[in-house]
Amino acid sequence: MSGAIDPTVHTAVLAALEAAVNRALALAPRGREQLGELAGRVFALHCSAPAVDIYLQPTAQGVRLMGRYDGPVTTSVRGAASDFTELATSRDPAATLINGRLQLDGDSAALIELQKTLAGLDIDWEAPLVDTLGDVAGHQLAQILRGALGWGRQAGHSLGRQLEEFIHEEARLSPPRLELEDFYRDVQSLEMRVERLQSRAQRLRRRLAQFRR
Amino acid sequence: MSEKEKTHFGYKEVDKDAKAGLVADVFHSVAARYDLMNDLMSGGIHRIWKRFTIEVSGVRVGHSVLDIAGGTGDLAARFVDIVGPSGRVVLADINDSMLQVGRDKLLDTGRLGNIEFVQADGQCLPFPDDSFDCITIAFGLRNVTDKDAALRDMHRVLKPGGRLLVLEFSKPQNELLGRAYDAYSFNVLPLMGRLVANDSESYQYLAESIRVHPDQETLKEMMEDAGFGRCEYHNMTGGIVALHKGVKG
Repeated sequence: MSGAIDPTVHTAVLAALEAAVNRALALAPRGREQLGELAGRVFALHCSAPAVDIYLQPTAQGVRLMGRYDGPVTTSVRGAASDFTELATSRDPAATLINGRLQLDGDSAALIELQKTLAGLDIDWEAPLVDTLGDVAGHQLAQILRGALGWGRQAGHSLGRQLEEFIHEEARLSPPRLELEDFYRDVQSLEMRVERLQSRAQRLRRRLAQFRR
Repeated sequence: MSEKEKTHFGYKEVDKDAKAGLVADVFHSVAARYDLMNDLMSGGIHRIWKRFTIEVSGVRVGHSVLDIAGGTGDLAARFVDIVGPSGRVVLADINDSMLQVGRDKLLDTGRLGNIEFVQADGQCLPFPDDSFDCITIAFGLRNVTDKDAALRDMHRVLKPGGRLLVLEFSKPQNELLGRAYDAYSFNVLPLMGRLVANDSESYQYLAESIRVHPDQETLKEMMEDAGFGRCEYHNMTGGIVALHKGVKG
């Protein structure tokens, strides 16, 4: 992190974030193993809005998050927070990196590997519940939570779809994506035609001037 | 006969030769409950200050690190994990009680092989020239009798390009924060010391020694005088603590 933030604050935030990520990784042994394969590499995430720098280093035990790092960096990525969110949630990180607004330096393959590992974490919530509550109660609670989580996810998707439909089709508050893309294409082609017309008019004007002389 | 040279011990003036013994008594007294008291006094923030120190240190796999006045081994434990089997960490402390606590803590957590424990005075380091990539001293410099001599010796044992990091209490940058901090240090700390460590005098010394320690700019100048280049400092928690960094040219 940069700027006028007290180092105590940014270090505390990163420490809390690191603890949370490592807690999640402890419940996803496969993910932790995959991250271990990236051990020793350092990923620099430079966010422009808000202005924050985070260095992420996978280790055999989990990840290390730092606010500053002076050593060699494997991959450096620059962009706004929204661009990083887009990459983190993307199903096709390679396409997002190529088409998105993120500026990338260094090894992109390692970054894609990291994104896939973190996005695909399969967290086993049952293990800590069974450890605390015992086999029977822990398993049953885990089933209930899994069901609730699944329902919540489905309900979220459904709500999102219906809301999108209402905004685009019913209330017509915003045009649908395809219509908007068509419109942008039309604007672009109009812009090109105007530019061509302009240069043709200039050419004709020059020729007319020569003819008058 | 000439008068003996004097130095600070908290607000008291004592003979230069006597300070090391007096400081040793303080740490013999608090060693067993040192970690608990640190957590209580700082509300756990000392862990954040130390974490930032590790980030600024730039220590990597294979590096050689000396942690002076390393006490109960908070910094050394992290360095052991970072430098790996190809690196080397030396935990040094003048006080054998503190060193004993630190050694037990590190060995009990399975950290061995790349760590050495040395009882040493920060002013007379028992290492050859150009030995370490990084030296840290956290909350230790203010207890050293001759700080200038200690800084010069740290410069000697650092490799060219190596870094010295001094984490120490400093001067709050805001007057209001300074007053609140004074009230806390002189009223709450000794009381806490009496209740938890059964020793209010040592914590009274802690509060006093912080006040007579050089402020941010003075310590930076002292590091430059000892031969360090690219000296800079980071204020933390409003300047209550500052991390000074210097590089051996």
